[in-house]
Amino acid sequence: MADQIHWDDVEEGQEFSLNEPMSSQRLVVWAAASGDFYQIHYDDNFAKNNNLPDIIVHGALKGMLVGRLLDEWKGEQGKIKNWGVSYRGMDPARQDLTIWGKVTKKYEEGGEALIDLDVGVAQPDGTQTTPGTATVALPKR
Amino acid sequence: MAEELEDLTDEMKAAVGQETGRSTYEVTTQGIRTFARSVGYKDEKYYDADAAKSLGYDGLPAPPGFLGMPIFNPDAGAGARRELFENPFNRRLNGGTEVEPIEQVYGGDVLEAVSRITSLELTQSRLGKMLIQNSETVYTRESDGKVVAKTRGTGLSY
Repeated sequence: MADQIHWDDVEEGQEFSLNEPMSSQRLVVWAAASGDFYQIHYDDNFAKNNNLPDIIVHGALKGMLVGRLLDEWKGEQGKIKNWGVSYRGMDPARQDLTIWGKVTKKYEEGGEALIDLDVGVAQPDGTQTTPGTATVALPKR
Repeated sequence: MAEELEDLTDEMKAAVGQETGRSTYEVTTQGIRTFARSVGYKDEKYYDADAAKSLGYDGLPAPPGFLGMPIFNPDAGAGARRELFENPFNRRLNGGTEVEPIEQVYGGDVLEAVSRITSLELTQSRLGKMLIQNSETVYTRESDGKVVAKTRGTGLSY
């Protein structure tokens, strides 16, 4: 288990990320987990017949990878208040995606020690497809 | 009709605030494990209820964002929705998702999900005229009546 991060130790501008391979098998597991069986996500012929370059990573999977990034970063004593992403571009499968977070604000409100973040998903060439924001509560020392 | 639409129809305006769907979601332990696997979790608390209990959880916890699956009805489809207005656009995109986790969800929970349209906007996009529909779904646990999460989504029709 990762060490618990504390609000006191976080600084604005701090960044963290995950590098995640997006294999066709992974998209099939996500289809089973989410119930999204649209064929553009796992059927090569269907995707090509819809003028797509390859099968496409599910938008919701990218959103939940951001959720995992935040869940693992906050530790057992932290709490995700909310997160949201916009699906601005398609991510073809069979490449690694970088799921990232960057601290934008650190403050206290309503008795909670809070962190605001920018979050997103980037392709290997740096193209950003899934920008968003999040708020996380962390324990104080 | 779609490209000629200059403003929201009266039917569209009346749909804002209205309920579009009510579904029962089952959060199964296998569903939690499959979700955790697909998202890439290595944390054993999402796979092993005993490991979770040793950390103080009451059972197998669902990772943030996992709210189970709607009970499938072969006649109506999963999570059947009420169509409150005639949508002249036939191409759809998922514009975005927001999640507000409120209470810890566990394997075995049964949730009632109620969705409403929160706003509709007609706009001009690079894809042509576009209808932007924002909606919110509130998930309530049947066993204790607590709201466990809210999700918000943006649907784009063009």
